[in-house]
Amino acid sequence: MAIFGLWVINKAGGLVYQRNFADGLAQLTSNEYLVLAGTLHGIHAITSRLSPIPGSSSGAQVIEGETFKMTILLTATGTKFVLLTSIAEPSADGTLQKVYDAYADAVMKNPFHTPEMPIRSDGFEQRITALIGDGRTS
Amino acid sequence: MTIYSLYIYDRHCTCVYYQDWHRTRRPKPAVEGGILPAVSQEPFDPNPTSASSYTSPRNTLLSSSGVVVAMNDAISQQTASPLLKAPPSATTIASTGLSFDEEAKLVYGVVLSLRNIIKKLSGRDENFVNYRTSAYKLHLFETFSGYKFVMLSDPSTDSLRLVLRQIYVGPFLEYVVRNPLVNMDSKVTGIDNEYFRASLDRMVRGLSVFS
Repeated sequence: MAIFGLWVINKAGGLVYQRNFADGLAQLTSNEYLVLAGTLHGIHAITSRLSPIPGSSSGAQVIEGETFKMTILLTATGTKFVLLTSIAEPSADGTLQKVYDAYADAVMKNPFHTPEMPIRSDGFEQRITALIGDGRTS
Repeated sequence: MTIYSLYIYDRHCTCVYYQDWHRTRRPKPAVEGGILPAVSQEPFDPNPTSASSYTSPRNTLLSSSGVVVAMNDAISQQTASPLLKAPPSATTIASTGLSFDEEAKLVYGVVLSLRNIIKKLSGRDENFVNYRTSAYKLHLFETFSGYKFVMLSDPSTDSLRLVLRQIYVGPFLEYVVRNPLVNMDSKVTGIDNEYFRASLDRMVRGLSVFS
């Protein structure tokens, strides 16, 4: 089981953080990641409107392919945390919560960080490295 | 656990078949010309209890439109097996606020975009399988001929890919592909016919996840 990558998407659909961990997925350019994040942002909004039952639906929470899945955590402020893992990875939700903690501590409390802008923070990088490392889980 | 609806799209991106089961939140009727004839048999009355004489433009099969797809006419509608009738629902039917043709396009758009994202990210010829929200789960099965089977189910259901494949291998091949009266790939009509609908309905209702 492995964690392949982590994205942070701001509330406007811009990719503000992207990092790869374990190998297994294609290596894309940063421009391609920006496009994918923007597309995902749009799809996420549509999926919440397609619910076949009354009551509100969240947007897509888990998107699965054949060999990997994307777990999406939408925070109350509209920021999306996306974790790309192998299908059987059980820790995806827990890891995303810890990433959110790290984001709150190391990014939002950083006086030099501009909201909605790309995250360039050594503290956040270190917390993520400590949390995910090289992406190999058990 | 339950199954909500099934959409079938052909390789021209058009919805050629639709059926729903336990769906309690329906789209509005499609606009005139928004959807092909012979896609769905249900009259799609947004308010099923009212005795409205309004017929949906989707139901062009019932009028003498000249499009006869596998004897799916007004008589067969009336004498259709009770299995085909929508189950009486105790809950009221809410509306999604979208018309059916818009909804069908949104579903197709989501499926196509996710498929492209997955292919791009994997760098291989990998298929998108399903996604899950808090209210439902959407499953995709794509055939080599470009037909896409999309099913919406309860979020706790396991993957329905094999079920969708069974629909393709069973009812679809038997009553659509091998049916000389079905004009496949025509861009002018859907693939709905009584045998396909009945066979599909039987199959879906027999699933262990259907309750």
